Amino acid sequence: MDQCTVQMCKTKMFSVSHKTVFVVDHCPYMAESSRQQVECDVLTKSRAQGVIPLAPVSKSLWTCAVECSMEYCRILYDIYPRDKLVNYIVSDSEFHILNSWRQEDQSTHELMSALAAVGPPNPREDPECCSILHGLVAAVESLCKITELQHERRTSLMDTAERVANRGRIICLTNAKSDTHVRMLEDCIQETILEQNKLAAGSDRLMAIQQCDLVLVHIHPQGEDTLVSDRPKKEISPLLTSEVHSVRAGRHLATKLNILVQQHFDFASTTITNIPMKPTLNVCDQEEQHANTSANYDVELLHHRDAHLEFFKSGDLHMAGTSTRENGLKETITLKWCTPRTNSIELHYCTGAYRISPTDVNSRPSSCLTNFLLNGRSVLLEQPRKSGSKVISHMLSSHGGEIFLHVLNSNRSTLEDPPSISEGCGGRVTDYRITDFGEFMRENRLTPVSESSHDPSGKLPVERAKAQLERHTRYWPMIISQTTIFNMQAVVPLANLIVKETLSEEDVLTCQKTVYNLVDMERKNDPLPISTVGSRGKGPKRDEQYRIMWNELETLVKTHSGDTDRHQRVLDCIIACRSKPPEEEERKKRGRKREDREDRTEKNGSKDTDDKSWQDSERLKGLLDKEDQESEVIKDSPDSPEPLIKKPRLSTEEVQPPERAKGPVSLLTMWTNRITVANSRKHQEFVGRVSSVNNKFELYQQLKDENGMDVHENGKASR
Amino acid sequence: MPTVVLMDVSLSMTRPVAQDGSEEFQRKNLAVHGLNMLFEHMASNYRMEFTTLMAFSSLWELLVPFTRDYNALQEALSNLEDYDKTCVESALQGVSNVVQQEWGSACPCQMVMVTDGSLGIGKGSLRHSLQTLKQRGDDKKFPLPFPFPTKLFIMCVANAEELQMTDAMDNLEELLRLSGGDGQIFTMEGALCMKSVQAMFGRLIDHAYSPFHAVLHCGNLSSDVQVFPRPEPVVMDEEVEPMPRAVSTDLEIVGFIEIGDISSPPVISRHLVLPIAVNKEVDEVGAGATDELEEEPSASQMAGKSPNFCVLLHGSLKKLPKSNSKKKSNLMMSLFDPGPEPLPWLGKISHLGPISEAAENPYGEDDSKSPFPVQPSVKRSYAQNVTVWIKASGLQTDVQKILRNARKLPDKTQTFYKELNRLRKAALAFGFWELLKGVADLLERECTLLPDSAHPDAAFQLSHAAQQLKLASTATSEICNNRLKYRSPSLCGPRWRTVCADCCF
Repeated sequence: MDQCTVQMCKTKMFSVSHKTVFVVDHCPYMAESSRQQVECDVLTKSRAQGVIPLAPVSKSLWTCAVECSMEYCRILYDIYPRDKLVNYIVSDSEFHILNSWRQEDQSTHELMSALAAVGPPNPREDPECCSILHGLVAAVESLCKITELQHERRTSLMDTAERVANRGRIICLTNAKSDTHVRMLEDCIQETILEQNKLAAGSDRLMAIQQCDLVLVHIHPQGEDTLVSDRPKKEISPLLTSEVHSVRAGRHLATKLNILVQQHFDFASTTITNIPMKPTLNVCDQEEQHANTSANYDVELLHHRDAHLEFFKSGDLHMAGTSTRENGLKETITLKWCTPRTNSIELHYCTGAYRISPTDVNSRPSSCLTNFLLNGRSVLLEQPRKSGSKVISHMLSSHGGEIFLHVLNSNRSTLEDPPSISEGCGGRVTDYRITDFGEFMRENRLTPVSESSHDPSGKLPVERAKAQLERHTRYWPMIISQTTIFNMQAVVPLANLIVKETLSEEDVLTCQKTVYNLVDMERKNDPLPISTVGSRGKGPKRDEQYRIMWNELETLVKTHSGDTDRHQRVLDCIIACRSKPPEEEERKKRGRKREDREDRTEKNGSKDTDDKSWQDSERLKGLLDKEDQESEVIKDSPDSPEPLIKKPRLSTEEVQPPERAKGPVSLLTMWTNRITVANSRKHQEFVGRVSSVNNKFELYQQLKDENGMDVHENGKASR
Repeated sequence: MPTVVLMDVSLSMTRPVAQDGSEEFQRKNLAVHGLNMLFEHMASNYRMEFTTLMAFSSLWELLVPFTRDYNALQEALSNLEDYDKTCVESALQGVSNVVQQEWGSACPCQMVMVTDGSLGIGKGSLRHSLQTLKQRGDDKKFPLPFPFPTKLFIMCVANAEELQMTDAMDNLEELLRLSGGDGQIFTMEGALCMKSVQAMFGRLIDHAYSPFHAVLHCGNLSSDVQVFPRPEPVVMDEEVEPMPRAVSTDLEIVGFIEIGDISSPPVISRHLVLPIAVNKEVDEVGAGATDELEEEPSASQMAGKSPNFCVLLHGSLKKLPKSNSKKKSNLMMSLFDPGPEPLPWLGKISHLGPISEAAENPYGEDDSKSPFPVQPSVKRSYAQNVTVWIKASGLQTDVQKILRNARKLPDKTQTFYKELNRLRKAALAFGFWELLKGVADLLERECTLLPDSAHPDAAFQLSHAAQQLKLASTATSEICNNRLKYRSPSLCGPRWRTVCADCCF
């Protein structure tokens, strides 16, 4: 259904959140202690005696800034592994760019390695040489650099390349001196943007900045009064907005950046509650002391806020257990864990799936939950409602090592009570080749082809999949009573091979063996699984049955004979081996209309030697229609049985299987048979002639569309 | 997409229409005539649609709840009564409630509002509602936009000129804008008569209620189908691609995937795929529908008897081992987000190829494995052992882990160095050298506390590790370069010693 409106709510591809530059202050004063102490020597009771515990350690302002910015990136990359990019810059007496916009540089792993090489600020460096400004200028320059996605989009949009916007955000973690200092930084960024935009106008690899959001986070040690005041977002110029957050180092800074990452990327928080801590679930950390206590625990997850869209819209937010945190800024929605039953495969009606990131990634409850999910289990989540009724609104599930929060539809379906399929078209037919089509689907399953193993000059894998479906369905009767060969075990080897794009010598041999085997069966007069549905009396005689079978086999192989010489050789083999040319018998059987038809055969035949055009095939179709009508008339005579094989949808100029038994044989069939006979006498020549008809393949293509189908369906419908 | 028909039954709808001829019509009669035509069309061409009929004046009333019984809807139309003045706002509030109660707030709906364009006077009039939009508290918000996606069709039993003489047209346009802009205002062209009301509803039917006919292809097999509800065009990113993406009328199967591999994917919409007979081309405007009714039974009987690919496909899907064959089922189509990679776990759709081209069957000979899901190149934080020390407990846990293993040396040498390397790596990245010194002190203390029975290697490992940590914590740039080697994951356990010997001593 139309979710246009919903879709539009999604963030723009090139909003400010496409590019984020972190500028982190690496000047000497960042080496100062945050004065927040961490006790890392937790002594157990048994060892407490006589041991002097280690003095608590404390993080520097730099350490606080780095670990909080890494946490910001961790959450971002978990939820947006692509297309939301971070560029990390460190500033002291010069700027150090730690990564690029390229996708392969986008991971916390890469950043951590680069940060290790930078190390903490050197407290002995001359503070006069150091400034955050170096980094901020570099950040603006960096925002002008085109990203892979921008480049790709600009290239693909061609004329409308200007639709690709260039916006970005600078998050500056620093220790500013005063409000005036902050204003100076803003002015400097504004000036740099103007300068860089001029440069960008003349370059292919640079883009002018259309919007830049500066988020300046002033970090100060605990217990020290701040010299910089908070300021909400304000517009400095049409190109630049700026906001200032003054935060104490340590956990306040961590909370602040957690809130910022949510605001910047439209995240929301869900707390999964009531997760049972059974000993069996407790696989993650056997070393913890409380492993065997049974309790229910909660885990908070972040994800895109659209996962809560329905709550927001229905005003169910408060019912859904919203709670406001101590800081008054962050809200979480509580959903209740529903213990999964079995691992049943069910296709839920899911309206959205959003990647998650645990807020507290290596806490024990979080890692228990994520490990549980990563092991392939799914968990349904229940939305608590005032009425006490139970509504399953979400599901947590992992796919390929990524965990998604699925939004499930919990409302009444507008598609309920659909009409039964048996009441519609084709619903009364009972002998569909269900099992065969099941096997067909198995053979036509898909597999991902890695971009590295795909030859970019060749057809895309999905096009090759479609080509395979086309080959496999050139002759595919849908019901059992329409076919003889597909009901015969003896034909299977050939039927499986002939649809292949290319045949090996061995394949051709197998096909030939199949044909010889059929010849053998015919000689021994083995019965065939010919359907007697709809025919009067016992059905066709044995030799007639074989004629039907051979015709059908020929039809199948003919649809592929143009593909390669080896395919053609299989057809040649059939033509050479199949039961006697029907010419004589036919002459006997249909003396009456013969002359009449002969004339038309001639006409048709002469056309055939020409390079066929579309019009020809249309004319041919008309001819077939006429024949169909004729045969209908004759069929009503008492001794002519119902045609058993429906006219298949064939390609080809000359193909019209002579399937009509004693009754009328179509004009085309007669002609085909004559040619067949003639050719089988001078076999070599036939091959040469066929291969010299250069457009044989194209002919098939023209007729593979519904033309063939229409003919036969109309034939049936008019009966 | 359920339909709400909201019919104006205020007194102004009883105004007579100027007629040259014999019979005198009210505007209401014209409106009822148009709606009857709509319902007849839906009954024969769009019968899966759920429709409700609501009437409004200063109050609103639910005449027929959501139903597919179009006779009931027509019946209710014939029994309309006349009431007082028009109050659009309260009626819209009513629509919002009725729809949400039935379908929740995510299901897109179409609303057909039939009115004469007299939108009330004074308090409660649409003009008044729109003028006071900004002066409302949270509890008295204007009902538009509805929480659910809406297409709003306003059918005016009036000429455009008539509506433009007052501010009625402006107000209706504002209403459409407030609803989200998706929809249209229809007015009558020419004289107000049966013919022109038919033409107006004909345009609505063409615009919003024409069945979506398509051809389902699977190679050379195919079937004509109706897709219900109509797939609507989608705009993914207004800025980069403002043109909506629509579903083609040629639906091509490219291959098959196991239901477990597709794994409850998010979809933007779901549709029934119903086989139809091609020769049964019913007049889409609906006017000619009655003529065809007589022929229909025989035609549909014929269609029932000729094999249809949809039925074959449905039957085979149902027979798959993992499907529940007892459940009543239908062939359904789900639409993913348009784009090259709608489901990350399938990879790019264009890069799904036939299994026959793989070196060996990726599903295994006995279907015991699967090439899905596609694994992302980088693991998420929760799938790797990341180090986060934002909370003191995270740091304490990591230090304690090292100490626990230190006490079990040399048995736990491997884990000891693994944990130590992890801590060291994070501490170096965070520039947290104080921690390195601290842990080095702790290891030295552990060394002194070793019992006499301890293996001699334990003391050696502890003092060596402590020394290395101290070295790292006072790192000059030359030693920083050596870190690269230390970080290698193979450098844990006994081999650490040899490598260290190479690079440090």
